[in-house]
Amino acid sequence: MLQELLKFINYWYFRYLLITELYMVEKWERVMIHIVLLIIFTIIGLFNWIVVLGAIGYFVGPVINDNIKRQVMYS
Amino acid sequence: MKTITDNMSITECINTSNYNEIKNDKSKHTFTAGTYQNGYNYKEYSGNYLRRNGKYLNGHTLTSSSDEEHLNYKLKRLNGTKALKKEKLVKESFEKPTLISTLLTSISFYILMFLGYISQALFPPKVATEHNRHGYPHLYDKFASFYSRYVYRRIRDCWNYPICSVPGAEVVLKERITPDNGWTFEFTGSQRKCINLGSYNYLGFAEKSGPCAELAIKTAHTYGLSTGATRQQYGTCEVHRELEKLTAEFLGVEDAITFGMGFATNSLNIPALLSPECLVISDERNHASLILGIRLSGATVRVFQHNDVKDLERVLKTAIYYGQPSEESNKHKPWRKICIFVEGIYSMEGSIAHLPQIIALKKKYKAFLYLDEAHSIGAIGKSGKGVVDYFGCDPKDIDVLMGTFTKSFGSAGGYIAGTKQFISYLRQKSYASKHACAMSPPVAAQIIAVLKILMGKDGTDLGKNRINALACNTQYFRRRLAQIGVITYGNQHSPVVPILVYLYSKIVYSVRTLIENNIATVGVGYPATPLLEARLRICLSAAHTKEQLDYALEIIEKVANDIGLKYSRLPKDPNPIQYETLELNH
Ligand SMILES: Cc1ncc(COP(=O)(O)O)c(C=O)c1O
Repeated sequence: MLQELLKFINYWYFRYLLITELYMVEKWERVMIHIVLLIIFTIIGLFNWIVVLGAIGYFVGPVINDNIKRQVMYS
Repeated sequence: MKTITDNMSITECINTSNYNEIKNDKSKHTFTAGTYQNGYNYKEYSGNYLRRNGKYLNGHTLTSSSDEEHLNYKLKRLNGTKALKKEKLVKESFEKPTLISTLLTSISFYILMFLGYISQALFPPKVATEHNRHGYPHLYDKFASFYSRYVYRRIRDCWNYPICSVPGAEVVLKERITPDNGWTFEFTGSQRKCINLGSYNYLGFAEKSGPCAELAIKTAHTYGLSTGATRQQYGTCEVHRELEKLTAEFLGVEDAITFGMGFATNSLNIPALLSPECLVISDERNHASLILGIRLSGATVRVFQHNDVKDLERVLKTAIYYGQPSEESNKHKPWRKICIFVEGIYSMEGSIAHLPQIIALKKKYKAFLYLDEAHSIGAIGKSGKGVVDYFGCDPKDIDVLMGTFTKSFGSAGGYIAGTKQFISYLRQKSYASKHACAMSPPVAAQIIAVLKILMGKDGTDLGKNRINALACNTQYFRRRLAQIGVITYGNQHSPVVPILVYLYSKIVYSVRTLIENNIATVGVGYPATPLLEARLRICLSAAHTKEQLDYALEIIEKVANDIGLKYSRLPKDPNPIQYETLELNH
C-alpha cells in the first residue's frame, strides 16, 4: 500500500519535473525553483484566504464560519 | 516587343523584362496614380483609389472575389483526370495542442531562461571572454552564446552522437558520458547498436556492400577520389556526363547539372539566377541553404505561411501590385523576375508542398518556381521521382528542379535540372561550377548505380521494391503512431515523421530512453523549430523491417505513456493495422 503510494508520488513528481523543465537542470536549481514556486503559491493562497474571502464576506456576510476561524487562530 | 510565355526558359527571360505587359498597364495609369504616390497616406489612399476607380496597379487588382474559383478551375483544367489526386492534400495534419499545454510550455520555458541567467551570473562560464575592449561592440551574439551554454549545453548529450558504422537500418553509436553536465564529454569505449530512425536513408542505399558500393570502388580505382579541378577546367570525367544524363532522364527533363554539395547547390546557384531587382517568395520553413542563397542574391524576400497556398497568392498579389519598394522616383517599378521557392518534403514538418496549386498560381502570375526536392527525390512518388511524380505533375512546369543525392541516394552532392538552355546558362554562370571542385567520381558512381536500380536499368525490380517498402513502412508507422495517440505533423505519405513533444525535458527524456532501448532518433528544438514546438523526428527507411518498426513503436508507446505525449484529440482507428495488406496509394 505504502509502496503503491510512494510509486504514485514519485511518478507525478517526475511528471512535475518534466512539465516545469526542471528535469534537465541541476539539483540546486531544482531546489531553488521548488522554493520559489512554494513561496508564490503560499502568497496566492494567503491572498485568497485573507483578501478575496474578506472582500466577499464584506458583501455577502461572513463566509468563514466564526467557529472555524477561532479554531484556526487558536490552534 | 518580346513577352514572356509559360514555356520560355529562364535564360530567355533574363534579358526580357518580366512584366512588359504590366509595365504598359502601369504607364497608362501614371497620370492618375501620381497624386497618391506622392501623398503621405499612401496605402489607405491607394485602397480608396482602387475601389473608386476599379483600376489597377502593375497589372493587378488587389481584391478579386473570383480568384478562388479561378484557381480551382485552372487546377481542374491542368490536372484533367487527375483531379482525384487532390485528395492527398487533405491527409495532411498540423494538430494544435490544447491551450493549457501551450501555456505550460511557455511558463516552463521562462523558468528555464530564468535559471539560465541566474546560473550564468553565479557561475560564469570558464571560457574565453572579451576583455579590455572598451568602446567595441560585442563580437559574439550574447543571446546565442547564452542559449548554447545555459540551455543547450544541459541536454547536449542528445545530439552530436559519434557513430561507428554505416548508417543503414541499424547504426552503431559510440557511447560517452559527461561528468560536468554537458561541458565536456568522455568516451566510455563501449558501443551501442541501435535501430536507426535518425538518418535520411530513405531508400536504404547507405550500404557498405552491394552493387552500388562496388561500382563506387571500381570508379575509385579508375579515377581516384578527386578530380582536382573545377568542371570548367579538367574536372569533367565520363562519370559526370553519365550522371547528368541519367539524372535528367530520371526526372523527365532535358538536362541536369550536378555539384559536389547539396547545400552549395542552393546557396551558390540562386545568386546566379536572381538579382537585387527580383522578388523572392519563400515558404517560411525553407531550408537554411535556400535562405542563404536568396540573401546572397540580394533579391527582395517576402515570406508566406508554411504550405499555405492562399497566403502565397495573397503575398504574390500584393507584391506584384505594389511593385518594388525603391526610391520615390521609381516607386512601384515592376519586379524583374518573381520566383517562388518551395521544398518537396519539409524536413522538420514532414509536410509535402501543394504542388498542383502552386503550379497553377505560378502560371497565373507568371512567376518562376524553384522546387527543392532534397528530401522528396526518391522518397515519394510511384517511381520515386519526388513530389512531381507524387502529384502527377509535369516536371516541365517547374522552372528549376533542385535536389540532393545525400538522402535517398546514400551519396553526396546535389543537382539542378531543367531545360537545356537553362542548364547551359548555369554551367557557365554558376559559382558552384566555376569555382568549386567537381563531384568526386566514386560518389558520382554510387549515384549512377542507384539511379540505374531505381529506373530498373539493372534488369531487376529491386528499385521498385525499395520504393514500395518505404511507402509501406511510412503508412504503417504513421498510422500506428496515430493509434498510439501522439501528435504527428505532416502528410500521411511523407517518410519524415515529427512527433510533437513540446518540452525540452520531454525531448531529453525520450531521446535518452530510446537510446537506452537501442533506438536512435533525433530531437529537434528551438532554433530549428518554432519555440514552442519541440519535436522528436523520425526518418523512416526502406531498409527497416516490420519487426524493427514494431519494436520501435512499442518503446515509443511506452515512453508516450510515461511522460504524457498522447496529446492528440483526433479520433483513433480502432482496427489493428496489417502491414501486409496496406494500400499503397502513393
Ligand atoms: C531542403 C534541403 N536543401 C538542401 C540541403 C543540403 O543538402 P546537403 O546535405 O546535401 O548539403 C538539405 C539538407 O538537409 C535540405 O534539407
